[in-house]
Amino acid sequence: MKKLRLNLCCGLASLWLILLISPMSLFAQNAEIKIKVAVKEADGQPLPGVSVKIKGTNQGTQTDLEGKFSLNASPSATLVFSIVGFVTKEEPIGNKVSISVIMTPNNASLSEVVVIGYGAQRKADVTSAVSTVKSENFVTGPVTDAGTLLKGKVAGLSISNPSGDPNAQSQILLRGTNTINGANTGVLVIIDGVPGDLLTVAPEDIAEMSVLKDGSSAAIYGVRGSNGVIIITTKRAKGDKINRIDYSGSESVSQLTRTPKLLTADDYRAQIAAGLRDPSYDKGSSTDWIKAISKDFPVSSVHNLSFTGGNDQTNYLASANYRFLNGIFQQSNHGQFTGRVDINHTTLGGKLKFNLGILQTNFNDIPFAPYDYRQALIMNPTAPVKMPDGSYYQEPTNFQYQNPVSDLYNTDQPQTSFRSKYNATVTLLPVSGLRIAATGSYTKSGYQNLYYANSQNISTLRDNQNGVANISTGQTVERFLNISAEYSKAFGDHRFTVLGGYEYQDYDYFNSGITNHNFPTDQFGYNQIQLGTAQKDGQDFIISGRTQTNLISYFARGTYNYKEKYLLLASLRIDGASQLYGASEPYGKFPSVQAGWRITKESFMQNQHIFDDLKLRAGYGVTGNQPAAGFLAVGLLGYGNYILYNGQWIQTLSPSQNANPSLRWEEKHETDIGLDYSILKGFITGSVDYYDRKIKGLLYSYNVPSPPNLYPTTMANVGTMENKGVEVTLNITPIKNKNFNWTSTFTFSTNTNKLVSLSNDLYQATVPYFTTGYTGDPIQTFTSIVQVGHNIGDFYGYKVTGVSKDGYWIYQEPDGTSVPYDKFGHSFNDKQIIGNGLPKYYGGWNNSIAYKNWDFSVTMRGAFDYQVINFQRMYYENPGIINYNRLKSAYDPVFGTAVLNKNVPLEYNSYYVENGDFWKVDNINLGYTFRNLKAKYIHNPRVAFSMLNAFVITGYKGIDPEVDRSGLAPGIDQRDTYPTLRTYTISLSASF
Amino acid sequence: MLAYSCTKLNDNDYATIVSSQFSPTSKDVAALVGVPYTNWRTLELGRSANAVWRTNEISADETVIPARPNGWVDGGIYRRVHEHKWTADEDNSYQIWTNAYAGITNCNRLLYQLDNNLIPVTSGKDQLEAELKVLRASFYYALCDFFGNVPIITKFDVEAGYLPPQNTRKEVYTFIVSELTANVPLLSKLNDGTTYGRFNQWAGYALLAKVYLNAEVYTGTADWADCIKACDQVINSGLYGLEAVQSTVFSTNNAGSKEIVFAIPFDNVYTSDGSTAWTLHMETLQPENQATYNFQNSPWGGICALPQFINTFDPDDARLKANWVQGQQYTASGAVLLGTMDKYNGKPLAYINELPGVDSSQEVHGYRLGKYEIQVGELVGMSNDFPLLRYGDVLMMKAEAALRSGDAGTAATLVTQVRQRSFMNNPAKATVTAAQIQGPSVYDYGLRNHLATTHESVSDIQYGRMLDELGWEFAQEGRRRQDLIRFGIFTKKSWLSHSPNGDYRTLLPIPTSALHTNGNLKQNPGY
Repeated sequence: MKKLRLNLCCGLASLWLILLISPMSLFAQNAEIKIKVAVKEADGQPLPGVSVKIKGTNQGTQTDLEGKFSLNASPSATLVFSIVGFVTKEEPIGNKVSISVIMTPNNASLSEVVVIGYGAQRKADVTSAVSTVKSENFVTGPVTDAGTLLKGKVAGLSISNPSGDPNAQSQILLRGTNTINGANTGVLVIIDGVPGDLLTVAPEDIAEMSVLKDGSSAAIYGVRGSNGVIIITTKRAKGDKINRIDYSGSESVSQLTRTPKLLTADDYRAQIAAGLRDPSYDKGSSTDWIKAISKDFPVSSVHNLSFTGGNDQTNYLASANYRFLNGIFQQSNHGQFTGRVDINHTTLGGKLKFNLGILQTNFNDIPFAPYDYRQALIMNPTAPVKMPDGSYYQEPTNFQYQNPVSDLYNTDQPQTSFRSKYNATVTLLPVSGLRIAATGSYTKSGYQNLYYANSQNISTLRDNQNGVANISTGQTVERFLNISAEYSKAFGDHRFTVLGGYEYQDYDYFNSGITNHNFPTDQFGYNQIQLGTAQKDGQDFIISGRTQTNLISYFARGTYNYKEKYLLLASLRIDGASQLYGASEPYGKFPSVQAGWRITKESFMQNQHIFDDLKLRAGYGVTGNQPAAGFLAVGLLGYGNYILYNGQWIQTLSPSQNANPSLRWEEKHETDIGLDYSILKGFITGSVDYYDRKIKGLLYSYNVPSPPNLYPTTMANVGTMENKGVEVTLNITPIKNKNFNWTSTFTFSTNTNKLVSLSNDLYQATVPYFTTGYTGDPIQTFTSIVQVGHNIGDFYGYKVTGVSKDGYWIYQEPDGTSVPYDKFGHSFNDKQIIGNGLPKYYGGWNNSIAYKNWDFSVTMRGAFDYQVINFQRMYYENPGIINYNRLKSAYDPVFGTAVLNKNVPLEYNSYYVENGDFWKVDNINLGYTFRNLKAKYIHNPRVAFSMLNAFVITGYKGIDPEVDRSGLAPGIDQRDTYPTLRTYTISLSASF
Repeated sequence: MLAYSCTKLNDNDYATIVSSQFSPTSKDVAALVGVPYTNWRTLELGRSANAVWRTNEISADETVIPARPNGWVDGGIYRRVHEHKWTADEDNSYQIWTNAYAGITNCNRLLYQLDNNLIPVTSGKDQLEAELKVLRASFYYALCDFFGNVPIITKFDVEAGYLPPQNTRKEVYTFIVSELTANVPLLSKLNDGTTYGRFNQWAGYALLAKVYLNAEVYTGTADWADCIKACDQVINSGLYGLEAVQSTVFSTNNAGSKEIVFAIPFDNVYTSDGSTAWTLHMETLQPENQATYNFQNSPWGGICALPQFINTFDPDDARLKANWVQGQQYTASGAVLLGTMDKYNGKPLAYINELPGVDSSQEVHGYRLGKYEIQVGELVGMSNDFPLLRYGDVLMMKAEAALRSGDAGTAATLVTQVRQRSFMNNPAKATVTAAQIQGPSVYDYGLRNHLATTHESVSDIQYGRMLDELGWEFAQEGRRRQDLIRFGIFTKKSWLSHSPNGDYRTLLPIPTSALHTNGNLKQNPGY
């Protein structure tokens, strides 16, 4: 709340106040006296930015950052105090010389300011599907990035962490999958007006996040808005104790939630005794390989220190954030240090404002190779980690088999990266109602990934490589400029705003890499990569590459409000993207309209006492998505394969694609109809939204006749995809009094994601499907199908109906007949849909309870009606493979009938497809704040204990049913997935 | 920040050349016109690709890719090919169709560019155009052999939306013959570094001979006389001869072998990535053999010989030992290699001439393919050039055509000539008489797997001995399917787990993707 009010004074959003405030000249009336006024909230916090007017005049001012002002006025005058979010208050001056005013918040949060694209609106005026989450409601714990903070908080926004890898980011899916080959597959992240990503800013530095869910609100972001927009507002200097230091820190420890149940050494020996396994498999030891690669007690730390200071003219915030996320596996961690400075300055009597931001983040990571986890799963449990002579146990002739502990300690792979971001905004408020602003930013990021596998690594012991080194580096420069002007005006019952702007962004990425092997010594590793001789023999690669893109945009928006009752908004964005260079129409137009009707403002609603507020809103908007690759519209020549020409190998130069000059954007057309409600003075609030998205002109690599085309596929805008769903949010405040406050939030959403067509006028004939997803080696087939008229995420494989007495699958032909294994064709035509990886329903239930100085919150969420392909079972539940370890369940009778026959090869079929439905008690948080501490130099210290990923209820047999849901083959639980973790955190925070 | 170029879309491409911004110079000519030769590499072999070589091999009676303990099920594709149960969605149809037409379209494009002076060739333009037309005909030969009824398209500048009509197999054959007879005489007569890996006259005639040899299959009417004439052109050139030892033709450094008439060149460095590498050693050896050859990668262990075929070899035939990896395997330093999988874990790894079936095998089952020299320390791709047309084949084509024309004497002489180097230890066995060459096949056809054993008569195979001779000399050269079809038994006999599954399977189905994108195409009969 406070953050928002500050925005109003100094930020981009000050639509109303600017209207209300006249220049600070106060006129004498009778015998004026000088009056000092301090405005506070009920809890004593000063309120800056409160509009103060002398009743019956247009004279007024506003409170400063300390919540204070002074003016000359007649004792007979009455002061009117108003600010969004609070009840307007009148205070006669009388004979007082100093007045202390306490403002009380509105019943509902209708006057809160909600950040929307390129601006802000009062919640009451919002006509689109926007959700805002403030820092006090964020998920707690050592989160990997800002996305995790919103987990389970917003209906329709699915955020998951499908991997426990400390270097993995959270995965965000907003209203389904919306592209096939578009450049933007993820949500657009805007940080203080500048595009960025979820790692740009430290989670502890975030004040609030707004999620623009529907197409009409995202349309102002044009080609980048199709997957929704998250707007992050960072913390800034504010409040009465502006000169202060805030500290928060936490220490966490993690554990694996579940581990696969593999055969143990005892199981091996029992199998040998029973004659099921050759005695040669007993290597004489007992090793729990998962334990062998795990840490016992991985402690993660997060510490954040921020300094704020200054006054109402110049103020600053400087923060330092350190986070060390310790992976559960050995040689796996993530280190991050972020420093940020934010400076504001106001001059010319408030008419000119400057903001300067500098941010630097450094990452120091050790990535974990999933292949080592796979090895831990398949290693013989009777094999020792090390031999008596101290060397690592290895079996070099066993195919794709190596000691994972050896790999972890005979490989050195530090990865460092950085981001530097500079941004500046100049805002000019020349006359009442007009705001002109320019924002520019320059972001440079880079990475350096080093790798050396020494001569004790399997790459030398088995593969004769004699040390393998790899260096890859890259650098990205992104520049951004936005210039906009906004004018707002009210007359009578009419209020309107207009906004217009220009935006430019460019992107320049350069990378290089070199690999080498055959080193004479391990002494130098990647530090002397030229010592390897493989490069000289032409056996290793050197690469470099560069990509430049830019995006040029113009945008405009108008809003109109009549009597606070009828609300209208319309916007248009025009984008040109360099990816469409050479296409007939590289510029696209993205319009939107929104309308709102506040039913409770109607006269017929004045006598009811149930609804405090009821607003019906509808929006329609178009957003786009440019192709991921550039230059698809034009003919290209590339150097490619070599030919032997007159005894010399020379590179050929040939066309590298079928050009498609009519290439254009993917266009998402979205209709959203919503209802916002507040019942019984805010006892129940919430919203309901229905959305219908049609993504037209899907970019797809379309089959074309060859001949005459050179290549059998051309990238073209051919298909249509559909996303439909309902989102419901319900906030209840069952108890609210001085000592006890309980709020409970329910979220529920549905989503169906379908491919409607895969052709257009130009490209008519095609197969109405394409396959995607991959099982990996050695099954080597696709997992999923995207089919016209069917849902995205369909699994396509053999359907099992039973198993024969001798342990062979009984498969079902698509016509419904069951056939024995040997009669089953195993071809494409024998496959059918055997599940779907995208949940149809999501639900969440969040509670927060405050009792005196205690606070307690719990976040729960679930996803329902979907399936997961359990790759661990698919690969490790087959008893025929004996040279790798198996799951114990490999020896369970299938369907209670028979153990799978040893001669049945690994196959992808419906037996390994399981229901993924789950309910997670995700985040539990218990805190105590020492509010009335008598200490002079320390304020409101708080201690808290929290758990992340606390409990899960599911029938799923694998580690975690919340798997990767991105892209067109969602729902695959890869056999190497870094297992998810349960984390316990103790945190401490205080101000000084 | 205000120095932005604020209204211009970026047009810097740092990976490829925007065609409209490029004007070639004479130094670009080789890079431009050599392109379609790369298409033969992916059409014939490619990395683990289901293209010409593999399709001709594993659909026939010499080699098979059985399910292995370490994989090679791959959705059942190799089993379906072995059992002749492939569908129009199979990768084999797709790879052959796509790569052959990519070659054809490249030739058409280059011919168009040469005609319109878009590529600056000053001298020898007629010869270059003739070479491209012969090369184009070679791609049509592959299409004619596998699909038969395919569109003939010779133009590059077609109007948008043009869909080529389908031609009959006979029309395709006639087109190939007329293109070759018109253009081969314009090609270089040299056989040296300038023509190696390219079509010179003699490679052109060898290809023409191959087309005539199969004329009866393609058109219903044989043309043995023209086949012999074309063979004689190559023989009479005097530029080629048989190597003293057969394996010389297939050695790592076989470039320039006097027996190679047309080679697809490979190199472990220059043709090492993606679809361009030739990886037969990786595809056939077991992972443990990594230690035999000190490879930098573990081989994948798949394709092997059919025991029935191995049993046809005369024990004195040097090709049996030289071409097949068999028996106990050792490390480079001579230690006995042990198996690692299932029943053979810890047991000696010895390749035996037994195979339970296409659906199951252990790592010891089946002799492995060793005709192409496997170099110690070889990388993932091999350096051996692939001889698509060789002098030994020219002699054998002539022998077969002579035999079929009633001249068994000439046939016997030529076959004997090719056999001699393989029976140095027992020269008497090298000689084949006119009577012998007209004898029956020694191949014991019939099902031979863990589920069924049958025996089928070979008395109905005309010129069975000639077919056997082709098998012994040309095994692993990616052609057996074509030979079996010409001898009329591809769809008639059983072997290992394969039973006949319809005569229409002498042609592959046109790939689904091609049918769906060109409404003029009709699927081959039977599919």
